[in-house]
Amino acid sequence: MSDNNKSSIIDKAKSLFTEIKTHWDTPAEGKYVPYKEYKDIVFAVGSNYAGSKTLEFITFASSCYLIMHHYKLPYLTFSVINIINMPLNYISQLIWWFVCDNLGFLPKKTERKLNIVYIAMMIFGLATIFFDFSALFDQTSAFIKYLNGLEGMTAASCFKVFGTHFLYTGWVGARNIFWRKKLLPKYGRYKYSLYSDVIPKCVMVFLIGWLPVYNVPDVATRVWMANLLFACFNVFGFANNLEICTKSISPNLQERILVRSYPIKISHIFNSILAIILPVIIGALRYEWADINVYRFVIPITFTAAAAITMFFAGRVKERIPQPPIEKKVQIKFWDGMFGVLKNKYLLINNVVGLIDSLGNGMLPFVTILYFYTFRLSGLPYSLIVALISFAGTPPDLLSPYFLKRFSYKQIMIFYQLSRAIGNAAIVLAIIFCGENLVLCGTICVVVLFFMEMTKTVPTTAGHDMNVRIADYQMYLSGERLESFAGVYGWFTGPIVSFVGLIIPVLLLQYGFNSNWDVLFIDASRRSIIAIPLIIDVIGFLLMTIPYFFWDYDSKKQNMVMEVLKRRAEVTEKKAQEEGVEVSGGYKG
Amino acid sequence: MKTKSKKEKTAVAEEPIVLDIPEEEIWTYQIEGLAAPHINKPYKNYTLKKIVFTLTIIIAVSLSMFFTIRTVQKDTFEYEPLANNTYQFSKFSNTGNITELDIDYVTTAEVDKLNPDKAKIIKDETKVVTEIREYALNCDEAVQVINIGKDVAKIDGKAFYSCWALQRIEVDEDNPYFCDVDGVLYNKDKTKLICHPCDRDTYLSEKYGHKPVFDDNGQRTFPVEGDKEFEAYKRDVLTYIVPSTVETIGELAFNYAYLQEIYLPEGLKRIETLGIFEIPLLENIYSYKPNSDINFETQNLGEIYLSLPEGLEYIGSDAFSYNQAMSYVYIPSSVKYIGHHAFWDTVYKEDGNLKGVTQIDIGMSEEEFKNVECGDQWKPQYDHMLFKKSVDEVFDAQRKTM
Repeated sequence: MSDNNKSSIIDKAKSLFTEIKTHWDTPAEGKYVPYKEYKDIVFAVGSNYAGSKTLEFITFASSCYLIMHHYKLPYLTFSVINIINMPLNYISQLIWWFVCDNLGFLPKKTERKLNIVYIAMMIFGLATIFFDFSALFDQTSAFIKYLNGLEGMTAASCFKVFGTHFLYTGWVGARNIFWRKKLLPKYGRYKYSLYSDVIPKCVMVFLIGWLPVYNVPDVATRVWMANLLFACFNVFGFANNLEICTKSISPNLQERILVRSYPIKISHIFNSILAIILPVIIGALRYEWADINVYRFVIPITFTAAAAITMFFAGRVKERIPQPPIEKKVQIKFWDGMFGVLKNKYLLINNVVGLIDSLGNGMLPFVTILYFYTFRLSGLPYSLIVALISFAGTPPDLLSPYFLKRFSYKQIMIFYQLSRAIGNAAIVLAIIFCGENLVLCGTICVVVLFFMEMTKTVPTTAGHDMNVRIADYQMYLSGERLESFAGVYGWFTGPIVSFVGLIIPVLLLQYGFNSNWDVLFIDASRRSIIAIPLIIDVIGFLLMTIPYFFWDYDSKKQNMVMEVLKRRAEVTEKKAQEEGVEVSGGYKG
Repeated sequence: MKTKSKKEKTAVAEEPIVLDIPEEEIWTYQIEGLAAPHINKPYKNYTLKKIVFTLTIIIAVSLSMFFTIRTVQKDTFEYEPLANNTYQFSKFSNTGNITELDIDYVTTAEVDKLNPDKAKIIKDETKVVTEIREYALNCDEAVQVINIGKDVAKIDGKAFYSCWALQRIEVDEDNPYFCDVDGVLYNKDKTKLICHPCDRDTYLSEKYGHKPVFDDNGQRTFPVEGDKEFEAYKRDVLTYIVPSTVETIGELAFNYAYLQEIYLPEGLKRIETLGIFEIPLLENIYSYKPNSDINFETQNLGEIYLSLPEGLEYIGSDAFSYNQAMSYVYIPSSVKYIGHHAFWDTVYKEDGNLKGVTQIDIGMSEEEFKNVECGDQWKPQYDHMLFKKSVDEVFDAQRKTM
């Protein structure tokens, strides 16, 4: 290295240090986030992310080891429960969207009516759980006969599942109005729920492991009781709220990407460390992953610690969406929401991509299957491989600001889909042609996964920013982000998704996959269970490149949208002050 | 030139943008190239659009529900027609109340109006079942007895996978391809053991008068070592003697059985994939020399020795996996193939000590053993310094005596 280069690097480091020192508490001109907040993001998002990832060990789904190994619930039962919940879901979603996109601030009459509906639902739900209504069923009727024939269910348990969903919907709906109104003006739209949910969530995480519902001998009873337990568990959220919050941390596009690429990326180290430590601890247990103590001690203690750190730092991370004060915000009526989101071309593109992506729905976590059932990894070797592969994405992610400047989002996303298709195809070929040779097959898979992870992080960052841009654009179009009403696209695509999404589960069932995962020890079955869904996925990734050819929302348009939003916030707040209205929750940018 | 244009593009993105938006136009200002905002304006002339929207939504939602229900709905019995005008039994989805299953003719199930707790089974005797597909029964929790009809000619080794309540498989005496021995499924000449039902111990307990005992939680308990009835229970229920004619233990044949001892005949050649898989109670495998003096009723087997029989040639992948109560394995010199993970997880650490299969004795020299085709990680492995370590193999080992 020449002396000139050396001194240039030293000069750059010095100027970076001075820049950080100068703007530690107050941001530079044109920027919005002081460097002190970068530090807080590392700890806040790090612990929040680690906590939410820990919760992924506990889900009411066939992919959850707790459910499949301890609860032993039939694979198709989850689809059956989904169907039972479906009609109420559609109705409750309409109300939910309306409440959320008005940020919980509704006309008083409407609010009272909704609360009455929610309380009635809770009462009905509780009644179905505490009383046995099966004596009222005509066992000879075709409908009851049909219900009794559902996998893992009886008519009585179906009714309890049905009631549980009423209880859940009523409970969640009432909480949604109450806590949004109370906490949103102070904490913003993305992180308020952490404050209302964190303590009950910790309690539920412990209960999941300690309540011996999995010991209930009758499968139909076990199904409805597990469904009830997990419904209560899901009432309280602990999503990756703070990271979501940071996506809107600044109206400045470059600053947003900078935050995403550095403090956020660094914050994920907490989870990477946890991803190494947890399997080692679990590997030391008597029955490793199959040991119930994983769910009694390891997961709850880890989660509680992460949740505590999250709450300590949560208040220091702010969202900065240019928006009018809540008292003066645009009131969203039903048709404003519906037509508003349909006008958003970019949201449509995203949803078409999502629709094609549904080709892979119902697929098992094939990487986990490779690790556990093909290579029988556990303890430190497992942790090291997982860490190695997840680390692969870090270096390119640090260069995200460069890549996002250098290439358009359209180019990045097309490249991403193609790289997935090629990577998955390579894994399928390795499994089919070298499946017998574990070392060779394993090496090929790990190398491919490594490259797939490397090429994933920049598109992921782009994808996140595309979503934020879509919401910003929606705010320009409709006066609100309408992130909830955007769900209506799911209703349109639903028929295709539900049809296509059940192809893989039915195929898996044919290859022997059900509640007993030991079938994955049988080479031929495992090969089909992994390879066939992956082939379908490859086709999906190739098709997913097409919608991105229509993406033309560039940074210039985005900057103009932000200017419009800032101007609206500024004028609205000024007018409110002139009228003498007390305002809260606004941000002028 | 190319580089310059890229720089220009970047410069455009970073240019500060100033829009002059009058106060009264903040909700209506349209950016060039983007759609116009629609804020605080009622959708007055949208009646037709609203109707179309509502109808589309209703159709979409109805279709969603229809497709989802259709895909989940399962017939109790599913069959595939075969070329020879017979049928393959391909899938059974229990209504929850079928405990005895006949596999002979194409069958449908209906609710019995007189007895709703029991399904009414209707057989079409013009449609004969000759094959049973793999995973035809998968994780069934109710079926206790399966009756195989006289025409069934082909049963896949994985046909009755994880049937937790299955106590017996009975085969029609006129069936020329299969037979059963006290509820265990064999091919007709008994050279292959196909399926030992998961819950056969319940049937044997009842057969030999070992009355079920239930604990405070209503869970059935079983005699354990030290109880006065344990010896009889062990003989009647926990021991299985594979007939001397058997040459192959089929794929998944013994999985999840409730057995403490299995006796294998000298003459057994193959133990297929997952043949003796995950039997938590299994402490010992013995081998015996078939001869005319053997009395299976009294379990008098003549000369018995520990572990796998001489003459065994093939040990399939995961053949003995997860049998942690086992403590001794001797691989005879006749073995030519050992599948991957054949003895996986048969060793573990407890209180710092190794338990289970802590070494593998091999009845041939290291040089001879090189000719044996071995799959990856065929030896048991245990946690060692945060990694896995295989147990030692001892070549030229002498078989332990009883």
